Amino acid sequence: MGIETLIKNNVLVTTVDAVVNWARKNSLWPMPMGTACCAIEFMGALASRYDMGRFGAERLSFSPRQADLMIVAGRVAIKMMPVIIRIWEEMPEPKWCIAMGACASSGGVFDTYTLVQGIDQFIPVDVYVPGCPPRPEGVLDALIKIQRLVEQDSIIKRK
Amino acid sequence: MNSEKRTEILEIKNRFPDSYIKDEEFRGDISITVKKNKISEILKFLKDDENFHYNYLVDITCVDYLKLNEIERFAIVYNLYSHKNNSRIRIKTPVPENDTSISTVSFLWKAANWLEREVFDLFGINFIGHPDLRRIMTPDNYTGHPLRKDYPLKGRGEREKFKVVK
Repeated sequence: MGIETLIKNNVLVTTVDAVVNWARKNSLWPMPMGTACCAIEFMGALASRYDMGRFGAERLSFSPRQADLMIVAGRVAIKMMPVIIRIWEEMPEPKWCIAMGACASSGGVFDTYTLVQGIDQFIPVDVYVPGCPPRPEGVLDALIKIQRLVEQDSIIKRK
Repeated sequence: MNSEKRTEILEIKNRFPDSYIKDEEFRGDISITVKKNKISEILKFLKDDENFHYNYLVDITCVDYLKLNEIERFAIVYNLYSHKNNSRIRIKTPVPENDTSISTVSFLWKAANWLEREVFDLFGINFIGHPDLRRIMTPDNYTGHPLRKDYPLKGRGEREKFKVVK
């Protein structure tokens, strides 16, 4: 007896959040911050066998201003960290971050004088992917976890 | 193996008798150890000589012989290659710990510029006459020379004290 009777089957009623998040999570534009061998594995995740395009994230954005998902793939030297922070800050909100592999997450085997021991000391990380390097399945799993995060987001108030 | 010395060794012995220290040959590759005071003249001779024509500087690197009882603590190693003769030569020159200065060869090969900056950055060797002796690998405000054998693997707190300036 509501408005549906007037407009028949031509309109779906939903929330703005649901629509926006649905669009966002299925068209993530990753900023590939590949600094080492994890980037090679990341290319494998993008290529036809694993095909990140199935999840809508095949369009890598090499401009941070058009990206909403930073994937830090590889070890980060202390000389590189200011560059990554700058790129992260150039990315518009809302944005998410994946630390791919042991090095980006924790420094990995490189417990040395010049390596950042985990990028989460400097930029917020949403999902960590273990492995050295992670399998493409691991990257896809992280991407799906990011999609779950995007679903919970709200355009009125970021959680 | 041929017991005769290669002409490069004989020529350097002849022309720079005060600089020559020793030579080694291993499977056809020769390396000559010379004193550091005339290193740029020796390399210039090897480069410009009509017969040798070692025109290509492959690499400049450094060895830290800490606790290994070599002639001096450091040795600078020049790897040269001759396109004309298809032959390689290695020139080593010992550098003492208390006087880590050596003449630059960046006026002979442009490639030496960055290679010497790398050796300066990681070993603290001071190349006299280098046009632009800045750090090349580590951040500009880094202190210390990390490839020295007495440098701790995890650094002297550079990693922890490192602050990103926004």
